[in-house]
Amino acid sequence: MRATLFVTCLGDQFFADACADTVELLRSLGVDVDVAMGQTCCGQPAYNAGHWPEARSIASHTLGVLADAEYLVVPSGSCAAMMRTGYGELFGDDGGRAVAELAGRTFELAEFIVGVLGVDAVGSGLAGRRVAYHHGCHALRELGSREEPLTLLRNAGAELVQWEAAEECCGFGGLFSAKLPEVSAAMADRKLDTLPDPDIVTSADPGCLLHLSGRAAERGGGPVFRHLASVLWEAANGRS
Amino acid sequence: MRDRILARVRSALADREVVAHPGAFPGPLHAGPVIEAFTDRFRAVGGEVERFAGMDEALDWLEGFASAFAGVAAGADVPAELATKLPTVPARDAPLGVSMARYAAADTGSLVLDSKGGRLPQLLPPTHLVWVRADAVMATLDEALEAGRGDLPAVLALHSGPSRSADIGRVIVTGVHGPGRVVVGIVD
Amino acid sequence: MDVHSRDYAARARAILRDEPHVREAVIGATVAFDQHRERAYGEVDSDAWRAWASDVKSHALTNLADYLEEAESRLTENGVVVHWAETAADVHSVLEAVAADHGVRKVVKGKSMLSEELGVNDALERQGIEVVETDLGEYVIQLFGEPPSHIVGPAIHRSLEDIQELFHRVHGTPPHATPEDLAAAARVALREAFLTADMGITGGNFLVAETGTLALIENEGNIRLATSAPKVHVALVGIEKVIARWSDLAGMLQLTSRAATGQAVGTFVSMIHGPRRDGEPDGPEAVHVILVDNGRTGMLADEATWEALKCVRCGACLNVCPVYRQTGGHAYGWVYSGPIGAVLAPALLGLDEGGALPFASTLCGACTEVCPVRIPLHDMLLTWRRRTVEAGKAPATEGLLLSAYAAAAKRPALFRLGAAGLQLLPMAVTRRLPFLKSWLAVHGDLPWSKPSFLRRWKAGPK
Repeated sequence: MRATLFVTCLGDQFFADACADTVELLRSLGVDVDVAMGQTCCGQPAYNAGHWPEARSIASHTLGVLADAEYLVVPSGSCAAMMRTGYGELFGDDGGRAVAELAGRTFELAEFIVGVLGVDAVGSGLAGRRVAYHHGCHALRELGSREEPLTLLRNAGAELVQWEAAEECCGFGGLFSAKLPEVSAAMADRKLDTLPDPDIVTSADPGCLLHLSGRAAERGGGPVFRHLASVLWEAANGRS
Repeated sequence: MRDRILARVRSALADREVVAHPGAFPGPLHAGPVIEAFTDRFRAVGGEVERFAGMDEALDWLEGFASAFAGVAAGADVPAELATKLPTVPARDAPLGVSMARYAAADTGSLVLDSKGGRLPQLLPPTHLVWVRADAVMATLDEALEAGRGDLPAVLALHSGPSRSADIGRVIVTGVHGPGRVVVGIVD
Repeated sequence: MDVHSRDYAARARAILRDEPHVREAVIGATVAFDQHRERAYGEVDSDAWRAWASDVKSHALTNLADYLEEAESRLTENGVVVHWAETAADVHSVLEAVAADHGVRKVVKGKSMLSEELGVNDALERQGIEVVETDLGEYVIQLFGEPPSHIVGPAIHRSLEDIQELFHRVHGTPPHATPEDLAAAARVALREAFLTADMGITGGNFLVAETGTLALIENEGNIRLATSAPKVHVALVGIEKVIARWSDLAGMLQLTSRAATGQAVGTFVSMIHGPRRDGEPDGPEAVHVILVDNGRTGMLADEATWEALKCVRCGACLNVCPVYRQTGGHAYGWVYSGPIGAVLAPALLGLDEGGALPFASTLCGACTEVCPVRIPLHDMLLTWRRRTVEAGKAPATEGLLLSAYAAAAKRPALFRLGAAGLQLLPMAVTRRLPFLKSWLAVHGDLPWSKPSFLRRWKAGPK
């Protein structure tokens, strides 16, 4: 099976290790991975800010770059949701087959592993680790993916900690975090204040992780934040 | 003004697809004993429920219950045989109000009261005693309202437990405006 | 009421900076409300209930003119005087006339968001009429001189300590009186008001066309008293409150209660069919219903947002909203706050006044997930954002930057060069760049990957 990786702009720039771990993890599961070098951004920042002509322009580029993808794997629930449901809204009746086909082939990483590959255990390297999972809003509510990452973590031996705010938005929200920084930070603080002292906080979304870890750093420390791809690859690889 | 508003509504809807009415409410039809279900619900929100096998048992209980009060404001629709021996006082001064419910609904724990016998005895006294006939306790609010539709009074009211508020510090306080104690007497 | 919605960002910032206890109180209250709702949804087939309720409202709204006429006929047959009002000023005129007819000097009010929207209290007070809010939360904020901060819990932004201090000042209760004691003090003051008021004013949760029933849900009994004790009752009812059938009522009452507070049904429900009838011992001699448009017909015509008129004002979307939770409702600068407030604001106030509120969201979708009548709230917020940009009302810097970003995103080499360039800038410069400046103000430094993944991949062994 061949899959194209769309690493996302934030993944590329801030989570390079997690992108590399995604490749390794998928390869270990028998997937032939390629990376389209023309990729940039899915267009979601412009889309959510209401600047649709700009969003369409970026999305058109991305559609072109990914035209040949058999499966598209995205280590970000938010960007996967943009490509699966957002593009349909953005292009409406003008979207045509390219948009519909991409939507049908696009998967967030955990969704792809469990739903497409039919794999629900990638290793057991998380035995004894206390893991807190942050559900990105778009993975949870747009893609409808709640159980897939939890299944993979649990089956890797992780103890998933109860987190009151696990399904609450972290406050990133793309440009929201720059336009309303105080509100955005307060939202992250609520996530952090309710966090029950895990070994690792993980999530499928680079944006959320960047925001939460950045806020934790600003407040003077906090737990270890790692992308789901890295946590799973370490579980599979026995390094964790 | 009326005609302008209605014209704007019609114009707004000119090209709108009409949504069909969905039919009956798909609410729960409670299986099992109705009076027990009502009792559980009503007690769960802080109400009190007494059940009597007949009028004699009810009157025995009433004598003891009423002895704690100095006066009563009773609804005009309370049957004469259920009257207390207490002196009648205006509702605003009465420590006890007594009403007759038309129906009760088990699924919501609601008493269905009407305005025919008077509203203030239902509202002003701190304690409210409500009589209801066992055969008037329905499984669902849906059924109770359906039973009532043939004769809608000025006010049909649902009372589902003591008056409550959580507006101060999120602490539930009872008896804020309406009665803080509600006792239901179910008579077979 | 006064509208300050365009100042959302500054108001939110000020509340977070100057009134941190508000955030604590609001989070406590909304989390509890939301947990109650979640439990209450779980006890029933909430998906089926919500699909049904959505259709009940959509059916009524897509046949609204007919049902309004039917409601008017039934109300009139029931002895209710029906008025129609296009604007807040029209409502004030009706109230003024009714008050004059009945020699009204004191009004007791049940909680009504529509009355806040219409600025009814100020209008009556200008006429020399005393207005007393009787819902405990509304009474508290009336004493504070504040507008409500939540649709269902108007005073949730106020802590017990705030209210202890207020009542100590106003009612002479002990400085650390219990909630029971505070409520008792309010009860005494408000009981007097009920028994001496000439008019009760309420809103309405539902208006049943088939029977002319005005239905009101509450927990305290103050609405029952306000509609029973004074000689006149006036209800302010938005035209979107109409539902078709008597048999719709039981379900709508239950679902609204479950969504709002998690109760099976509110403690008191009044289903009103006119004034005191012959032979009835008490009740008002006159009942008036004012059917209010105030922008609703315009909203009904909007293909993209008319469904927001299905709203039953349960507050569930506020309770679950992580943005609302940080500041409470006062940041929104308008009667309706949270997701539904942000959808209604541009529709009812226009983009200039209300256009800022749809941006007070991360589009997380939690609101849409809990709405009892299935309003796609976060989709509507996005629609309003797009319209704001299309109308040229977005900040100019934002447009320029996104244009540049979009242009770069079509040229991968340039896009990556831009990212590399940003990393080379001295921090003193980065901290002054739009967006990055705000980001860096509340986060640690950006943890750039060096090199980026794609650079590494290109250089790779793969």
